[in-house]
Amino acid sequence: MSYLATKQAPKREDRLHSCITFGGTLCGFHKLAGGGCFQDGNREFSQGSICLLLPGIAMINSLKDNVNLLHGAVGCGVCSHSQNANARSGGLSHFGVLKDALWLSTALNEADVIGGGEKKLRSAIIEADRLYRPKTITVVTGCVPGIIGDDVDGVINDVQNEVTAKLIPVHCEGFKTKIWATAYDAVYHGLGRTLLDDPFFQERLIEEEAQRFRFEEQKKRTVNLLNVSSMGKVDEDELTRLLNDLGLSVNIFPVFADPEQVYKVKYAAVSISTCPTHDDYFCKFLEESFGIPYILKHMPIGIENTNDWIREAARFFGREKAAEKIIRTENERLGKALEGYRKFFQGKKVFVSAGEFRALATANLLGELGFEIVGVRSFHHDEFAAGEYEKLKKIAGDFSFNIANAQPFEEANLLERLKPDLFLGHWNGNSTSAKLGIASHVIYNTGLSYIGYKGVFEIARRLFRQLRNPAFNKHISKYARLPYRESWYAEDPFKYIKTPQGGEKHVRLSGNA
Amino acid sequence: MSDFPVTHNYIERPRYFCSFGGALSTLEAMPDTIPVLHAAAGCAGSIAWGQNGGSGLQVGGYCGGLAVPSSNVGEREVIFGGAERLTEQIRATLDMMDGRLFVVITSCVTEIIGDDIQAVVSDIREDLRTGKIQKNADIVFAKTGGFKGNSYYGYDIVMSAIVRQFADASSPVKKNSVNVLGIVPYMDSFWRGNLEGIRKSLELLGLTVNTYFTADDCLSAIRESSGAELTLVVSDVYGLETARVYKELYDIPYIVSSLPVGPTATARLLRETAQALNLKIDVEKIIEEQNRRYYQALEPLVDCYHDADLQRYAVIIGDANYAVSATRFLLDDLGWIPELVQFTEALSDTQRESIAKKLSTADIQPRLVFDTNASEAGHYLSERYPRRENDLYTETLSPAFVIGSSLDRDLALKLGAPHLSLSFPVANRAVINRGYTGFGGGLTLTEDLLSAIVAGR
Repeated sequence: MSYLATKQAPKREDRLHSCITFGGTLCGFHKLAGGGCFQDGNREFSQGSICLLLPGIAMINSLKDNVNLLHGAVGCGVCSHSQNANARSGGLSHFGVLKDALWLSTALNEADVIGGGEKKLRSAIIEADRLYRPKTITVVTGCVPGIIGDDVDGVINDVQNEVTAKLIPVHCEGFKTKIWATAYDAVYHGLGRTLLDDPFFQERLIEEEAQRFRFEEQKKRTVNLLNVSSMGKVDEDELTRLLNDLGLSVNIFPVFADPEQVYKVKYAAVSISTCPTHDDYFCKFLEESFGIPYILKHMPIGIENTNDWIREAARFFGREKAAEKIIRTENERLGKALEGYRKFFQGKKVFVSAGEFRALATANLLGELGFEIVGVRSFHHDEFAAGEYEKLKKIAGDFSFNIANAQPFEEANLLERLKPDLFLGHWNGNSTSAKLGIASHVIYNTGLSYIGYKGVFEIARRLFRQLRNPAFNKHISKYARLPYRESWYAEDPFKYIKTPQGGEKHVRLSGNA
Repeated sequence: MSDFPVTHNYIERPRYFCSFGGALSTLEAMPDTIPVLHAAAGCAGSIAWGQNGGSGLQVGGYCGGLAVPSSNVGEREVIFGGAERLTEQIRATLDMMDGRLFVVITSCVTEIIGDDIQAVVSDIREDLRTGKIQKNADIVFAKTGGFKGNSYYGYDIVMSAIVRQFADASSPVKKNSVNVLGIVPYMDSFWRGNLEGIRKSLELLGLTVNTYFTADDCLSAIRESSGAELTLVVSDVYGLETARVYKELYDIPYIVSSLPVGPTATARLLRETAQALNLKIDVEKIIEEQNRRYYQALEPLVDCYHDADLQRYAVIIGDANYAVSATRFLLDDLGWIPELVQFTEALSDTQRESIAKKLSTADIQPRLVFDTNASEAGHYLSERYPRRENDLYTETLSPAFVIGSSLDRDLALKLGAPHLSLSFPVANRAVINRGYTGFGGGLTLTEDLLSAIVAGR
């Protein structure tokens, strides 16, 4: 593979045949995608979404001693204002320092569009290096330099000798890919190409055998725990706790990475993903380049998923027995803590929307808590989640299924039909359900606990809290309306999807709809 | 004392969006309006996340966030053009989205590739006119490509477009009615409260007020805004372009005043407005009554204000609206000592000069700095107050207060000073109906400043 030899990561449409357009049922989707002939479609009507630049710089804003230089128009990167909250709280919990993320913009203007932005970029890199003295400068490119043809890599190569910071190009031209998960590849690509060299102090003139032995032994029991910002410190702590119980040391990468510690990612026995959609690119790179095998299978959200995640890790180290003991104890304690909640949740209808893996894993968790899954929406689809669909089918049967890069109009239509008791959606993705009066809860927030056994309990507590008093949403729904015409709710929710294969389009209506 | 603008090769943590983002934010606040983006997929999300982090916990409105229709152009459109895709998108949008005014705006990508958006929108408008598309709707467009400037400029581009294309040239002149420009929704987190404060103040003069974005505004008033008698630009920088369009097309005169925060600035606005409209009323009597109410409310504060010695030196960092209005309020009404005023956006020579004039008084002359790097504020302060640790009798900036954005908490921490976020980004406050304009706004600002000082009491 060795994509890292190239200047930028390939888009996921090409590398993984990822897609963003489907409407129907889980079984219908399975029939279609299972045959391996799933081609992506289009929407005649679409709503705004995000591009890879947003999750890309969500990761980058967490990096220690980094200046993030956005090369584009001044609006590219304003998402940093919300990501700064995570940079501040995460920085505090990881490093004990409360500090704003540092981002800059070359703020390309009309003259730059005509004359090119390379000169400005070069001067900006030099000035930022002099003023802030960062260890690294990430140079993130938006759409404009991509269209006007700035040679960003050329500028960086050229100017690297004049600055002390390591320069890391990260290509995030939003118009080039519809799959924003390409962001993870783009950032891993930049970090992997630039920051993995051993630091000077690692080189020893005389190597003592005892030292070497200790190092090798340490390496044999160290795992890379990959986190691209899909979880906060509280979730990292939960997985670290479980891996420590297995007698393993944990090296977390890449969020809140210290540039001087990044090289450690090369000295681990195995890399474990917390979300295959996020990590496959880097896992494969580490294996090819440094012979570090990887486990890329489960997302540890939900009881069974966490059990399986631990089992996989333990199997690698031959510690199956220890794992079963941990699993037994944890499940028992958790089961008792959940008793009351399960009774309360039993039979309540829930609808879930998020990135593919997270949506499916969370739906699994909700099934375990006693909810009935009436619908799932995934932001995109690729090959990694195939197993998750199998798991979910077993626990939840068939239900409405929609693949969409947000597109809340389809969601509004589905929610009006399915009338769930509860909705879980991503950032800026809960207002549709809230305005329809449905109790809603955010499915991802780096300040909250979602992962592992602790996550199951904490989600249960939070959902119980939401369901106990949904007054806010009930009142909002009476006075705030969604911006769709009444006629829309009588239409096929997938009316605007144009599928090349003319796939299934109807939605399974639940009893009362 | 004003410095030459300090120039950088970049903007540090830009405290505004691009022109596209400003236009989108403006449209999201306008009644019964559906923005239609001709843009790459990420533009809407970028602005939604920016509002999420900077606009006092407010994202979008009736049609905002990720619900905004967008053509989501990609590589295909960059190569082959996006006009066809835009036409398809607008037709479906009219079918699907419930609004009266549809405003198509362009982004960097679609503007650079040169899509003829005017032709696309003209065709659709014709279809609406002839009934080929049967919807009770108007459609206009604005070219707001992000590289054109910042969000304040985007507000002016899209407001000008609406005034040109949507306002009704045949509206009869409406006596004593005014349009209020200069407050950019979401860029000013307190936009709702600020507009309401201005409306309330102007209603004291018996005027009919169009503020475009509040619950008291409606599209028909915006359409008839071409019949107003006067435009008030409550900003030294924002909204001027739009005021000029009203003047050019509908011969409506305009006056430019800073954001009226507190009794002195509001009284000035009332006097100027009454004079411009030639109102036959006793303005001074109205002002006197408001002042009486204002100081009656302050009366019980007097003891604690002095007991706790609540007067402060102030550092003000902000956009043109807040840097000017907060500084003037401290000088004219609260009686604090502004020491440093830093403007964090790029301003033209004329803009800087007119602002500098507004902020110089005979006795107190804060240093004015025009520098987009807000993290340099500490540097400017230490120039004014060099450290002389061995000198017992050295002048210091103490007790100090930092008025700025949530990104200036770091400076406040270093100065050991309390802090209040007014200017974008306001990440650390929830804003719903709070505003600082008008007489009452001065009380609110006093409350917030003093509360920050005594928070640990």
